[in-house]
Amino acid sequence: MQRFNFPVVQPDPALEDLRAELQAFLKEEREAGNFRPEPECWMASSDAEFSKKMGKRGWIGLTWSSKYGGHDKTALERYIVTEETLRAGAPVGAHWIADRQHAPMLLEHGTEEQKLDILPRIAAGECYFAIGLSEPGAGSDLANVKTKAEKVEGGWKINGQKIWSSGAHISHYMVAILRTSPAEGRNRHVGLSQIMIDLSLPGVTIKPITDLSGDAHFNEVYFEDVIVPDDCLLGEEGGGWKQVTGELAMERSGPERFLSSYITLETALHQLRGKLGSDSQARLGKLIANLRTLRGMSWGIANLLHQGVSPETEAALVKDLGNRLENDLTLQVRALLNDLPEEEWSDEMRRILNIGILRSPPNTLRGGTTEVMRGITARQLGLR
Amino acid sequence: MINTEGMVAETAAKIYADLCGREVPHEAEAGQYPQALWDALAENGLPLAWVSEDNGGFGADYDEVFGAIWVSAEAASPVPFAETLIANWLLDRAGVAIPDGAATFALVEGNAASVPFAGTADHVAVYDASENEIALYKTADASAVDGQALSPDSDTRLDFSTATPVASAATNLSRRAVEALILTVRAVQMASAIEAALNLSIAYVSDREQFGRPLSKFQAIQHQLAVAASESAAATMAATQAASALARNADDPEKAWHEAVVAKVQIGHSVEAVTVPFHQVHGAMGYTQEYDLHHYTRRLWAWRDALGNEHHWSKLLGAELAVTSPDQIWKGVTTGAWIAS
Repeated sequence: MQRFNFPVVQPDPALEDLRAELQAFLKEEREAGNFRPEPECWMASSDAEFSKKMGKRGWIGLTWSSKYGGHDKTALERYIVTEETLRAGAPVGAHWIADRQHAPMLLEHGTEEQKLDILPRIAAGECYFAIGLSEPGAGSDLANVKTKAEKVEGGWKINGQKIWSSGAHISHYMVAILRTSPAEGRNRHVGLSQIMIDLSLPGVTIKPITDLSGDAHFNEVYFEDVIVPDDCLLGEEGGGWKQVTGELAMERSGPERFLSSYITLETALHQLRGKLGSDSQARLGKLIANLRTLRGMSWGIANLLHQGVSPETEAALVKDLGNRLENDLTLQVRALLNDLPEEEWSDEMRRILNIGILRSPPNTLRGGTTEVMRGITARQLGLR
Repeated sequence: MINTEGMVAETAAKIYADLCGREVPHEAEAGQYPQALWDALAENGLPLAWVSEDNGGFGADYDEVFGAIWVSAEAASPVPFAETLIANWLLDRAGVAIPDGAATFALVEGNAASVPFAGTADHVAVYDASENEIALYKTADASAVDGQALSPDSDTRLDFSTATPVASAATNLSRRAVEALILTVRAVQMASAIEAALNLSIAYVSDREQFGRPLSKFQAIQHQLAVAASESAAATMAATQAASALARNADDPEKAWHEAVVAKVQIGHSVEAVTVPFHQVHGAMGYTQEYDLHHYTRRLWAWRDALGNEHHWSKLLGAELAVTSPDQIWKGVTTGAWIAS
């Protein structure tokens, strides 16, 4: 019997104070012209100067110990920071992945030396990471990894290619899943390991891929006889599959899964207040009800994760619903804007809306496609 | 998640398990009213759960009773348990003596109103916002208007113009307070029914074989039910959020209005998104009276229309948001505080 577990968690006054600080900072930065808001900002808008400002304020590395440059706070504080920066469409892409994913990974699997060296730089907004999962022959079929790491004296020798690595061109490190020993017959999940690669090493070539809008924020990354030291193996040799799927499950329910396009609505609301006709009011009511519900689900899961519970089915459901909502939001805003003569649309509105339309396809692809999410859900429901 | 572990919910769960097996909703429709089920609920005082102790009830917390409502909807309750709870809540708050037996409720505008369980409940508590009054009628004294009902217990139009109330009292309950309660009860029932129908669908496709394998092994079926599961989860969240808002604002239910409306809008739209795949994966079997699916889907269709459909409420919520500042809207989305404090 399926029963879904989403606790209702009330706002915490201390977190709301943090929210107010974020809002004041983001407003000031935006008004000073230090950034132009964009949808999908956590993937496609990077600005090292902005990341450093976030670092100075203590808004990166919230979740880890001050011994490693962190701020001894919880994932709930981080949640507030991420949802406010998404709402503002701020250029947080440079540090996002390292803060979300790789710092926790290093905390769990890194050496003391690595932690002391790298984590403070991540928290300062100065050190960025890219994800090395997909390959030309391995996307949704992630276990079909061909890129190899061969054991050599004192380290690993890496040959092969990763693809779709967002931000690799500005990143300092990549954590890649690599084949360290052959598959055992049909079991391809064995023999995969996670290895951290310094992208400045000889033999690494990064080629940006231009997306359909002309931006280049993802990349092909080639490895030719790249040698990394032994301690770059993160976690267990051969345990990479389990580590990766565990991480993916943890990151499916965050605010970036349903708020990536909120800036488009926010911008429209500023223009449309008091001007919406009856049909548009109904659209707005439905859209906001959906957002409120998704936020409740995502926040509920964040609180469960905080308590050490990892609700895999619920997280996959949030990603599926949230990604659909992100794309629906952009469509609904297009409809709402009909209530304002086009000559009255601000240039900013037009720019943000068009960016949102052009950046919509990856919403339902990255971090596991909608089809993969539904497959996970079906398995949890006992159908597979 | 609606907590079904409290004493009230567990008592209800035991009664429904004992006296409302899968055949009972079928028999009720065929004319055998499950009086034993109602009597057991009444003997345990459950319909009086929200009535104050002064008025003969036991003043239970909202939370505990929502668990019992969840359980009743999961069993496709053919007796007006949730409706009696709402009626008694209204009467109690107006200081009207609680009548014995099953009751139902109506919000009148003019002489007529839509009333659930009009054929079953002995009494109906009628809230008239324009008069700030709650009146108690014998259901039999009002005249029913003919029409096709969506479900056996769904709303029937009753005309009160020639009926005389057995009691009435002025009330300071606002329309929004009453709506907050009713919409939240319905949201809990609907989320529960959606989940029950999802579980029924999962069981059916796992059992039913076509082309030499269970339907559950077809990806087209898996994905339809995965989408339905996401809608079911969202419905549960919305209902839980509304129930929680009411529990936190027990002294001033009007403050829970926005979260109740969010739930009505969210779940109202979910009904189509779930009943279509539920029926699709069941094929013709799900369209028969013999099978159980309609106990849930017809109730869902009836509930989404009760007190105004999802479009009506989307517009009502949207009309308010359309003149609200973007900052306040964001505050509502993130914290549930929809009105500037």
